Amino acid sequence: MSSKDDLPAFSRRDFLKTAGVGSLATAVTTATDAEAQTQGAGPRVLGPGDVPVTLTVNGRRVPLQIEPRVTLLDALRNRADLTGNKRVCDRGTCGACTMIVDGRTVYSCSTLAIDVQGKQIRTVDGLAQGDRLHPVQQAFCDVDALMCGFCTPGFVVATVALLEKYPNATVEQAKRELDGNICRCGTFVRVFEAAMKAKTMMGGARG
Amino acid sequence: MAKYSWPEKPTLISTPVKRLDGPDKVSGRAKYTYDVNRPGMIYGRMVRSPYPHAKITSIDLSAAEKAPGVKAVLEYRKAGDEVLYQGDPVAAVAADTEERARDAARLVRVRWEPLPHASNETLAMNADANKWSTTQANTRPGPRQETGDLDAGFKQAAHVIEQTYSTHVITHVCLETHGTVCEWDGDKLTAWVTTQAVHQCAQGYAQTLKIPQANVRVITQYMGGGFGSKFAPDSQGIICAQLAKKAGAPVKLMLDRKEEHLDTGNRPSAFAHIKAGVSSDGKLTAFDGQSWGTGGAGATSNFPLPYLYQFPNRRRAHTDVYINAGQQRAMRAPGHPQGCYLTEILMDELADRVKMDPVEFRLKNAPALNPNAQYQKYFVEGARRFGWEKRHPTGDPTRGPIKTGMGVSAHLWGGGGRGSQAHVDINPDGTVVVKCGTQDIGTGTRTIVAIVAAETLGLPVSAVTPQIGDTQYPFSGGSGGSTTAASVMPAIRVVCVDALDKLFEKVAPQLAAAAADLAAEGGKIFVKATPSKSLAWKDACKLLGTEPISVNGQWQDGLSSTGTSGVQFAEVTVDIETGIVRIKRILAIQDCGLIVDKLTAESQVYGGVIAAINFALFEDRILDRVTGQMVNPNMEMYLLAGMSDVPQIEVDLRNMPERGVIGIGEPPTVSTASAIANAVRNATGATIRSLPLHPHKVLAAIEQERAGGTI
Repeated sequence: MSSKDDLPAFSRRDFLKTAGVGSLATAVTTATDAEAQTQGAGPRVLGPGDVPVTLTVNGRRVPLQIEPRVTLLDALRNRADLTGNKRVCDRGTCGACTMIVDGRTVYSCSTLAIDVQGKQIRTVDGLAQGDRLHPVQQAFCDVDALMCGFCTPGFVVATVALLEKYPNATVEQAKRELDGNICRCGTFVRVFEAAMKAKTMMGGARG
Repeated sequence: MAKYSWPEKPTLISTPVKRLDGPDKVSGRAKYTYDVNRPGMIYGRMVRSPYPHAKITSIDLSAAEKAPGVKAVLEYRKAGDEVLYQGDPVAAVAADTEERARDAARLVRVRWEPLPHASNETLAMNADANKWSTTQANTRPGPRQETGDLDAGFKQAAHVIEQTYSTHVITHVCLETHGTVCEWDGDKLTAWVTTQAVHQCAQGYAQTLKIPQANVRVITQYMGGGFGSKFAPDSQGIICAQLAKKAGAPVKLMLDRKEEHLDTGNRPSAFAHIKAGVSSDGKLTAFDGQSWGTGGAGATSNFPLPYLYQFPNRRRAHTDVYINAGQQRAMRAPGHPQGCYLTEILMDELADRVKMDPVEFRLKNAPALNPNAQYQKYFVEGARRFGWEKRHPTGDPTRGPIKTGMGVSAHLWGGGGRGSQAHVDINPDGTVVVKCGTQDIGTGTRTIVAIVAAETLGLPVSAVTPQIGDTQYPFSGGSGGSTTAASVMPAIRVVCVDALDKLFEKVAPQLAAAAADLAAEGGKIFVKATPSKSLAWKDACKLLGTEPISVNGQWQDGLSSTGTSGVQFAEVTVDIETGIVRIKRILAIQDCGLIVDKLTAESQVYGGVIAAINFALFEDRILDRVTGQMVNPNMEMYLLAGMSDVPQIEVDLRNMPERGVIGIGEPPTVSTASAIANAVRNATGATIRSLPLHPHKVLAAIEQERAGGTI
């Protein structure tokens, strides 16, 4: 599982320069986690065919029959018709697939569905309550922080996570937390404006 | 024409109106092609050439056909065919899950006879170069132009510069990759396509599949970026329809990120060897340019040169160079960013030769003031606003490794409209539905359709339902060349004016007035002379009984025009120890005729500027010269700006209502890279004559400058 929160205070570009070291560290952590789980449950092999996987998405149980290799993103998009989060780079670079799993942002294109069973998964589809938008979503609409809209779900989720983590987010914190998302239409200026506006709407400090 | 002319005092047009589909997009409810899941749908996957140049010896689909879940296989090419680039499509499969389709695609056995390849312009132009194709030469001479007297021009020159300049290949990187969902009902095809041109796509399907166009419906409700690369069904669209036919099930075939880089277009490279002269008083006298570039495997690479500035005597010859790489496609202002960069760097070099300020030098050589050429105004106003007087001469004299510099650049674009048709229904319950077979590629077309209809009918935007993105609606052309707004808005205005006239006729007896004396505003229809004599919109529409007002119409001349201008300023810092360029701020002055929605129009200017920051500093399609493979067909090594890379950007959008609607998608992306490059030159004192401004090139130029000069 990739977690954007694990990244040190680098920009995406700085991070790429040290990606060799970073991914090594991630790999070690993941292996240890997997090992611990396997030891607890006794050795067992899943797949290669469909296996039952139950996810908890936006507070609802979603039972699925999928191959163990299916990612969280593909499981929800292709099997549960939760298509809000997008597949863009499909390898944990662009952030369009960003979901919140147990309070932390993850690249769902690089997270296996079987690995997040029993965890609270939040996608962009679950943020609005009926027609009532989440303040972050409302702020994006108000300042036109979107054009084609394909990166937008990822940016919205990343901004929600930012403001849940730092209700009084500084400019630097906001930029850093949103650096894992890429937009091709060029909405960054207004996405940043939306994040700051949402902070105020949600009761955070001005400025 | 006066009947249809734009209102003198609009209440909605030119104001900031929020994007109508914003709530659908931010909530994930908006269904893009990638999100369409049809009952019984299966997944398509293509098999492509791993070689840049090869002959197909044989294709064996038998193992793939037997793989779990596979419902259809097809050969797209046949034994004996020549493939001309990495990613050239060869075959395809469809299976019940995406994962199984990928597995099956790997089982397609293709035998190849690899052929020598040419993977960059220089290698392809060598006398003993490998041939990109067994049937066509590596180069093709393009158009030649000559104006004035070149020899006389160079005789008038006090200074002459002779240098080679270049820009690189970049790919569109649409976030929603190219692809379609195809579903047959008997001999009728419905295709959800991520496209900038629904009607053109329907035509493409009909022609390629040899079926009547009447049997094809193309739908694009939402589209995740195209930038010029999404006008046709392409191989993946046709293959998807064929797989769906064979499998008897709807098929989704979306390309993956690597395929997107390899086979869905790119911006061609541009090179030019230029000799240019300037008189001692700073007037351009002569330009002699030999240019070349590659649009990949058999595609053109021409671009405008010299750009914008007036060389009275000039000659230019262009050569297309073919290499083994995916073909170019139109990319946001095709040709202009290249021509602009090549010319604007030269302009600063010439200005230094005559010891003139770059703004002053440009004022001397830019076109005279015209509605479509506002340079004389924008340079002066922009310089004042940007604090240009603080700019130091070439080379920041400040001590320490961080150097600061400013640069300026200008651009032009055509835009303009034609041909769109539209339909409006005013229903007896007061609802208004406007239909047009255009598409919203992210620019806000859906929103501005509603704005123009609402303005015309005197209603709030929310009272209008715009319906677009479907070939069941009246014809509108592809969204390219910044022509959508200027084509569609006049058509909407025409049908709504005509529909309102019909409603006035119905209402007139009730208000005891002549239809010609009525007006619609603020949700009411009233007598112009005595506004108290009025009917609420809903009550007026009730008079229709059971029969709605339905009007068809089309674009008419007089509501749009062509030709826009823009000037941009940039300030950068350059770390001369690392070569890293950071942009501090950018000012973009831009016009686009009548602004329809201030909010979404400004967004496009921001977007254009940011796209050009990528072109200047980050993105680069890198082909390995030995293997002919793209080294960075992904989004981690194909660099794009993130939030921290984006500077302060000031947008100064000028409204020119008297010119009608023109269009703004492309122009703002043209000159940013040149302004940045000139700012880097101003900071470092070193001239970098090729994009992108990657750190190693910046350092090399600084080294060269120290060793004896880059001039």
